[in-house]
Amino acid sequence: MAFFGIVCCYDDLKETSLQMKNLALYAIPIGYMLIYVVLILASGLWLFLLSQGLDSSEGVLHTIESIMHRPKPKSLHNFIEVAAPHLFAIGTLIFVVAHFMLFSTNIPQKVSRLVSMWVFMLALLNIVSYLAISFGLLVSGWIKLVAMSGFVLLFLVLLGMVAFSL
Amino acid sequence: MKFLVTKDLAHSTLLTYLMSAVVFAILLYIGLDVILHAYIIGLDRSSIEATLFGDEVNFIEPILLDTLLLQVHIDLFMTLFAILILASIYIRLYANKTMTKWIVHLLFIFGMLAPVILILAYFIGPSLSMIWLITFMIWHFLALFVAMMILKKLLFK
Repeated sequence: MAFFGIVCCYDDLKETSLQMKNLALYAIPIGYMLIYVVLILASGLWLFLLSQGLDSSEGVLHTIESIMHRPKPKSLHNFIEVAAPHLFAIGTLIFVVAHFMLFSTNIPQKVSRLVSMWVFMLALLNIVSYLAISFGLLVSGWIKLVAMSGFVLLFLVLLGMVAFSL
Repeated sequence: MKFLVTKDLAHSTLLTYLMSAVVFAILLYIGLDVILHAYIIGLDRSSIEATLFGDEVNFIEPILLDTLLLQVHIDLFMTLFAILILASIYIRLYANKTMTKWIVHLLFIFGMLAPVILILAYFIGPSLSMIWLITFMIWHFLALFVAMMILKKLLFK
């Protein structure tokens, strides 16, 4: 009986050591995931600015100014074409990034929950905000700019939290 | 990813079937992704350069920046998820091999470089078009290799 206990204990130890090795290796995909997400956010921002008239002759600040005063008109068809894939993709991306906080021992779960829920809410606001402009409820594009910058900044905070927990 | 690490599922046949199925789906995705890029960008020097910079002789306009950037944006997202799933399963199955770490590093680096080089090629010039093709093919072959190794271990152990 004692021998069986020792064998089981040895098996558990071997298994635990393998799991620890696995966990150390899992830091590699998680680390690269953070870089990929930054690139996805950057290309998304660039795409949005291009759709609002950014080109070589006009700088980023001028484009932001024009979004504030007269955002480009967008039909319901255009809105849904952009919103549908983004609702799925951003939701999945936040979930995948935020679920790594479950393993964090450096940051309390309460903070992780608060930040991830705010990222989700800002993402939703960012996606639907153009609807207010399309339907003429708002003339200015400030709501889109606020929602987008809030979402990007808080997502970067979440990425920083995952990086800190690695 | 926790389900891939936990030892409770180490001997689950359901998990084996699920992992095999998702890897098989990614294997098909990798193949179709190459074909998709052959249609959109091209997979030889002349067609890549004609897409990115146009061809005056054949009256081909260069691709619009927003069209190319949208493709890069989608590629980054799809590549991230495909590689993340492949790497997670590969690490679970081959954690004790020394090469595992380097294969995972290379997979992520080349997967990231391909879309970045594509957008750089658009601005810098034809010199980067072949580098894009090489990085694009390397990450696809690496992903193919990783997927085959996973299937080998899961189905023929």
